[in-house]
Amino acid sequence: MTATRATLTLAILCAITTGPLTAQDQPAGNPLQGDANAIRAGMGLFRARCADCHGIDARGVRGPDITQVWASGRTDEGLFKTVKEGVPNTEMPANPRMFDHEAWQVLAYLRTLAAPAPTDPPRGNAENGKQIYQKMCVACHRVDGVGGRLGPDLSRIGVARSREAIVLRIVGDVEGSRPGYQPVTLTPETGPPITGVKKNEDLFSVQIMDSRERIQGYEKDKMKAVQNGTRSLMPAFGSNRLSASDLDDLVRYLQTLRGFDPSVVP
Amino acid sequence: MRATTLRFVRTGLLIGAATAVLTAQQAPPPPLVSSQEIVDGLASDGSRWLTFGGNYGNHRHSPLTQITPANVNRLVPQWTFQTGTLGNFETTTLLRDNVLYVTGPQNVAWALDARTGRQIWRYRRELPENLTACCGLVNRGFAVFGDKLFMVTLDAHLLALDIKTGAIVWDATMQDYKGGYASTIAPIVAKDKVIVGVAGGEFGIRGFIDAYDTQTGKRAWRFYTIPGPGEPGNETWAGESWKVGGAGVWVTGAYDPEQNLLFYGTGNPGPDYHSESRPGDNLYSDSLVALDADTGRLRWHYQFTPHDVHDWDATEVPVLADMTIAGVPRKVVMFANRNGFYYTLDRTTGKVIVAKPFVKTTWATEIGRDGRPVALPGHTPDEKGEVTCPDITGGTNFWPPSFDPSTQTFFVNAREACMTYYAWKPEYKAGDRFTGGAGQRVQSPDMPVYGALRAIDPATGDRKWEFRYLNLSTAGLLTTATGLIFSGDGDGNLLALDSRTGKLLWRYQLGATMHGTSPITYMLDGRQHLLVPAGTTLTAWALAP
Repeated sequence: MTATRATLTLAILCAITTGPLTAQDQPAGNPLQGDANAIRAGMGLFRARCADCHGIDARGVRGPDITQVWASGRTDEGLFKTVKEGVPNTEMPANPRMFDHEAWQVLAYLRTLAAPAPTDPPRGNAENGKQIYQKMCVACHRVDGVGGRLGPDLSRIGVARSREAIVLRIVGDVEGSRPGYQPVTLTPETGPPITGVKKNEDLFSVQIMDSRERIQGYEKDKMKAVQNGTRSLMPAFGSNRLSASDLDDLVRYLQTLRGFDPSVVP
Repeated sequence: MRATTLRFVRTGLLIGAATAVLTAQQAPPPPLVSSQEIVDGLASDGSRWLTFGGNYGNHRHSPLTQITPANVNRLVPQWTFQTGTLGNFETTTLLRDNVLYVTGPQNVAWALDARTGRQIWRYRRELPENLTACCGLVNRGFAVFGDKLFMVTLDAHLLALDIKTGAIVWDATMQDYKGGYASTIAPIVAKDKVIVGVAGGEFGIRGFIDAYDTQTGKRAWRFYTIPGPGEPGNETWAGESWKVGGAGVWVTGAYDPEQNLLFYGTGNPGPDYHSESRPGDNLYSDSLVALDADTGRLRWHYQFTPHDVHDWDATEVPVLADMTIAGVPRKVVMFANRNGFYYTLDRTTGKVIVAKPFVKTTWATEIGRDGRPVALPGHTPDEKGEVTCPDITGGTNFWPPSFDPSTQTFFVNAREACMTYYAWKPEYKAGDRFTGGAGQRVQSPDMPVYGALRAIDPATGDRKWEFRYLNLSTAGLLTTATGLIFSGDGDGNLLALDSRTGKLLWRYQLGATMHGTSPITYMLDGRQHLLVPAGTTLTAWALAP
C-alpha cells in the first residue's frame, strides 16, 4: 500500500516535472523560419532596434557582423537567448520587453541575410601583430587584465567588431568615440588643463579618467572651461605609422581576442 | 471604604469608556475628504493635496508662501522612504491630515506618516504572472473621496481601499486583462463617481473611459474611445479595424464642475505605425474628448493627430483656466501634445484658439483654420524607414505640466528628438503586441537630442523662457505662489527655478530621475514641505529651522 502510494507520488511528481520542463523548452529551431510576414516584421524590428550597432545589412558597424553566426556554428536557440538576454558585460543589451515571437521574427529575417563562412584564408600574422600591439597599443588598451585603461578593453574585440570596423578605427577614419571614452578637457581656475575621457556627466558635474588614469569628478562651476573634444583620444595610425602588412598583422592578432576568463590563471 | 471608592472609580471608568465607544458609534467622525474640498482644490487651502493635479484643472500650483526664491536654497531633507519593491515611482502622492497616500510600482501602495516617513499600512495586490502591461508595471496615483482611496490595477481592476486600513472595500473589474487591457491611470472623483481609463494601445484593445459609483463600485457609464458600428465616428475606421484600434486612456484628465464636463486625452490608434491597417481619421484616437460627468455622453471632441502613424498618444494632462485672449474672456483647456504642438482650445466648444509647435516639428507646418494639421508628405513610416520630428516619445508626454494663473504661464518639460520610423503589416493575436513598426532615434549633429523646461504664453503659444537640460527630462512640475517652479532633469537632479525668468536657484542630486512623477507641497506642523518621488524613494524637504 505504502509502496504503491510512493510509486504513485513519484509518477505524479514526474508528470509535474515533465510538464513545466516541456513548456519551458524552446521549440527546436525557429518556429517562424521562412514565414514571409515574420521576415518582414523581423526586418523592421532589426532596423529599429539592432541596426544602429550591427549595421543595416547586419555586416557590423559598432557591433559585430552577424551574417555569419549560423556558419560559425551558433544555433537558433542560442541566438534567441542572446537576443532576449543580451551578452553580460558587453554593449549587447538584454531585451526583456521583446516578446518571444518578436525575437524569432528578428532571427527569421537575419536568416535571409545569412552568409557562408569565409573561404578566403585570413590575412596577416597574429604573432607579429601581437608584438605591434605591445609596442603601440598596450599603453591605453587592456587585454586579459594587462595594459592601460584609458581606451576600451580589447579582450573580446575579435567577436565584438568586424574586421572592417577594427581597421577603420585604427586608421582613424571613424568620427567620435563610444560612451565612456569621449575626450574632454577641463580648465581649472588655476593650474594646467586636465585632459581625459568622460565617464559620466550632468548639468553640474563631470566624471573623468585623466591621461594618468586617475578617476575623479569635477564641478563645472569651479572650472573656467569644460571643452568636449571632437576627435577620439586615440591617434590615427595611417600608412605613415603602420604599413599595410603590419596593419593586417595587428588586425589578425586582435581577431584572436575572443574573451577574458579571469578564473584561468595564466 | 477605600475598596469601595476604588470599585466606584473602576466602574466609573468602565462606564466612561463604554460611553466613549457608544458616542463613537452614534456619531461617527465626518468623512476625511468631502466633494467640496476637492472642488476647492488648492486655492482655498494649500495645506493638503487631495487630487492628482492639485485641483480639477490640473494647475499643480500651490498658494503656499513659506518657501521662496530667496530661501529655497535652505531646503533640507526631513526623511526618505524606500519602497523595497522592484520598479520605479510614476506617481503623484496625496496628503490629508498629516498622512501621505502613495501608490508605487506593481500595485503596492502605502499610507505614510508625513512627519517621519514611517509606514502606517501597506497594500499589495497579487498580480497574475501573464500580465501584458506594455510599458512598465507602474501606477500614477490614488484618488480620495470620503473615507476611501481609489486605485487602478495592472490587471485592469478598480479598487476602493479603506483609507484607515488599506483594506479592500470593493473591487470592480474594468475588463479582462488577458485581452491586453491594463490600467495605470490616477483616478479622479467627480461628484459621486470615480473616473478611470484603460491602457493597452499597443495590444489591440478598444479603449474606454469608465465611471464607477464611489459607494458601491457599480459601473455608472462607459465611453468607448472608438465608436461602434452605427455610431458617429465609426466610419473613420476602415473595415473591422475599429475593433482593435487601441486609443487607451492612461493619463488623468481634468474636470470642470461648472459645466459638469470631463476632459480626457486619448491614446494612439493601433497598430501604431502601419497606416494601411486602418485608413481614415481613426476617431477618437489622439483626441481630447469632453464628456458629461453624469452620463459619459460626448459633448465635443478635438482630434490633435488624425490618422496618427507615429504613436503620438494625446495622453498628456489637460489644464483648465479662464483667461482673456485678444480682449475676449475665454474658458480654455491648455494642452502640450506629444505631436509637437501646443494648443489652447475653447473648452466649451473644442475649437482651436491657439496652436503652435513648442518643439521641432517636421510632419505638419501648422494647424489650419479648420483645426486640422497641415500635414507634409513623406511622413508615413514603411519598411525602409522615414525620419520625423518629434520622436515616438514626443514633444512631451504623460509627465504633468503646471500652470501659474497669476502670470498666466503654462510650463512643460519638452523634448527635442527625431526618429526614423519603420512600419510593417502586423497580425492581430489577442493579448499580443500589435504595433506594426518601431523607431530608432536619430543621432546627428543637425538633430541634437535634449530636453528643456519651457514657459509658454497660452494666449499666443509663444515661449517666454526655457531652461535647457543636458539630456531628456521626463519629470512632472510644481509651481508656487512665490514664483518657484520645481522640476527634474534627465540626470536625477531635482531643480528649483524662478518661474518668471527660468533662473536656476537650487538643485539636489536624487540618484534617480523623476520619471513621470511630480513634486507636491503641503503644510505640516506650520512648516511648508516639498515631497518628491524619484526611482524607489520618496524624499520630504522643508526649510532648515
